[in-house]
Amino acid sequence: MKKVTFIEAITEALAEEMERDERVFLIGEDIGAYGGVFKATKGLYEKFGPMRVIDSPISEAFIAGGSVGAALMGMRAVPEIQFADFITPAMDQIIQQAAKLRYRSGGSYKVPIVFRVCCGGGIGGGLYHSQSNEAWFVDQPGLKVLFPSTPYDAKGLLKAAIRDENPVIYFEHKKLYRSIKQDIPEEDYTVPIGKAEVRTKGENVTIITYGLMVHYSLEASEKLSKEGISVEVIDLRTLLPLDKETILESVKKTGKAVVVHEANKTGGVGAEISAIIAEEAFEYLDAPIARVAGPDVPAIPFAPPMEDFFMVNPEKIANAVRKITAY
Amino acid sequence: MAIVTNISNDQLKEIYYLLVLTRNLDERGRKLFKQARFTGTYFSAVGQEATTVVPTYGLRKEDVIAPSHREIGANVAKGVPIKLIMAQIYARKTSPDKGKSHPCHYGYAPLRVITPASTVAAQVVVGTGAALAFKIRKVDNVVVSFFGDGATSRGGFHEALNFAGIHKLPIVYICQNNLWAESVPLRLQTALTDLSERAKAYGFPGVTIDGNDVMEVLRTSREAIEKARRGDGSTFIECKTYRWYGHSEIDPANYRAKEELEAWMKKDPIPHYEKYLLENKILDEKEKNKILVKVEKEIDEAVDFAEKSPYPAPEEALEDVYYGGDKT
Repeated sequence: MKKVTFIEAITEALAEEMERDERVFLIGEDIGAYGGVFKATKGLYEKFGPMRVIDSPISEAFIAGGSVGAALMGMRAVPEIQFADFITPAMDQIIQQAAKLRYRSGGSYKVPIVFRVCCGGGIGGGLYHSQSNEAWFVDQPGLKVLFPSTPYDAKGLLKAAIRDENPVIYFEHKKLYRSIKQDIPEEDYTVPIGKAEVRTKGENVTIITYGLMVHYSLEASEKLSKEGISVEVIDLRTLLPLDKETILESVKKTGKAVVVHEANKTGGVGAEISAIIAEEAFEYLDAPIARVAGPDVPAIPFAPPMEDFFMVNPEKIANAVRKITAY
Repeated sequence: MAIVTNISNDQLKEIYYLLVLTRNLDERGRKLFKQARFTGTYFSAVGQEATTVVPTYGLRKEDVIAPSHREIGANVAKGVPIKLIMAQIYARKTSPDKGKSHPCHYGYAPLRVITPASTVAAQVVVGTGAALAFKIRKVDNVVVSFFGDGATSRGGFHEALNFAGIHKLPIVYICQNNLWAESVPLRLQTALTDLSERAKAYGFPGVTIDGNDVMEVLRTSREAIEKARRGDGSTFIECKTYRWYGHSEIDPANYRAKEELEAWMKKDPIPHYEKYLLENKILDEKEKNKILVKVEKEIDEAVDFAEKSPYPAPEEALEDVYYGGDKT
């Protein structure tokens, strides 16, 4: 075992997969000699050279669409979208090409790509360096969407994604990059796509969440356990395809569900999860489903008091749990 | 007509056959749509055949075609069986896309024709990525990217050509400038007259040619393809041409002057090429008639194949979402 940060886990996954499979290549802004703005690709340019760690111009449409074309020719592209906020110029290529090429070609092409997307707020990034737009992609069949919360999962899921034959959007919350460390195995491992993980067992309420919010939910659950409320925290890890079984099994046991995410509430991932619970576990519920999410404003504002106001935190999560526990 | 070296008379005759096959197949598609033999619409490329058939002719199986929606000729010349083209138009189960896409959005993975989306210029970006793959893997395959004048106004188009210029990618960009982006004339699309001027901004050569002159298209595209294959980078070839009919068959194209259409119909690429072949005794009347008969027979068989092919079952709508199974 060795202790690594979240971002070290990502760098290791990239290096090991590039070593294992010469078809794997990286493309993105500032990922070459500079090593990426968050240093996710540190050392890889020196090791694999400029045609496998490609510094691109500021051209997200090409980063995405070029990856699609290369993938069709048998390469395994791992483009980096420096900030989730900047993915919009690539949307045509992700939504119309990557996600639909297999379908529109009657299954005759495959598109193995992993879009590494750096997202998330709470770090003073302001309006355009803080967004979490995973819901856009969860709405697009043909894609897979991952959102790890731990170094172990970050590495294992990234490796699984690179070995997958389908286009994957892999979200990395930037606040996790250096804030948590974890022991991970020395040897090669993967984490299965589409499987949630129960982070803590509980009896009274189920929290369903992912990414940074897993850690905040665990903090909340610790606090709540002292108040006699036993909380089960489910870390989704994969948002598309959703592990419905794990969600439903837990909710059927606890009878109460709180869905937590950082992104704004309306049309968010929480809306889908709430709908699934309402459709498939209605008779087990003994309280309304609660959602804890960002407010419906265009993005996370810059001024620190407003950013704090926007962000979901352990206290907001605990309050939501207390409220539905009262039913 | 320009002189082209390294091409045999048999090959010139084969190009003639492919041009006539494309033209007649395309006209048949229009007719069948008007007879309501299939649904949706139909995007004809009649008048533009030289710009698609000729650059594609002679490419390797491993070379890539990144088409748009008016590239029936590139598919025919790459060797896509025309019965599969017809099955695609008819949205039948036997089509390479199994009825999922849209008439005229032809693709065929075994010959590396990339099934296009309808978002104009998107395919230029994807094609450039295929060329990047060849560059990374150090193989001497090339990509031929086809698009219209309209595509050159898109942002992704600029990003792709800019990238191709930086890395000298093995791709040839063939712009079929037919003067109209659906109903919008060139003067409202760009302040340029010759779209090949755009290439200057990307750092590789751009040329404007008569897209209805088969021999000129042949010479120019062959040079560009050989150059790309050698690793000497991209070329932008603007082929001035004209689509005789509307954007699709539901568009009467009454935004265009009758005189403009008539002038371009006189510049029909096929009779001009035919005259060249006959005058130079590369083709004779007897061979020509044989080709015409052969083409009609092949088209009849293709239509028959499509019409006898079943539709996909309704629930096949759920297939081909993910590789390795469609359970999400």
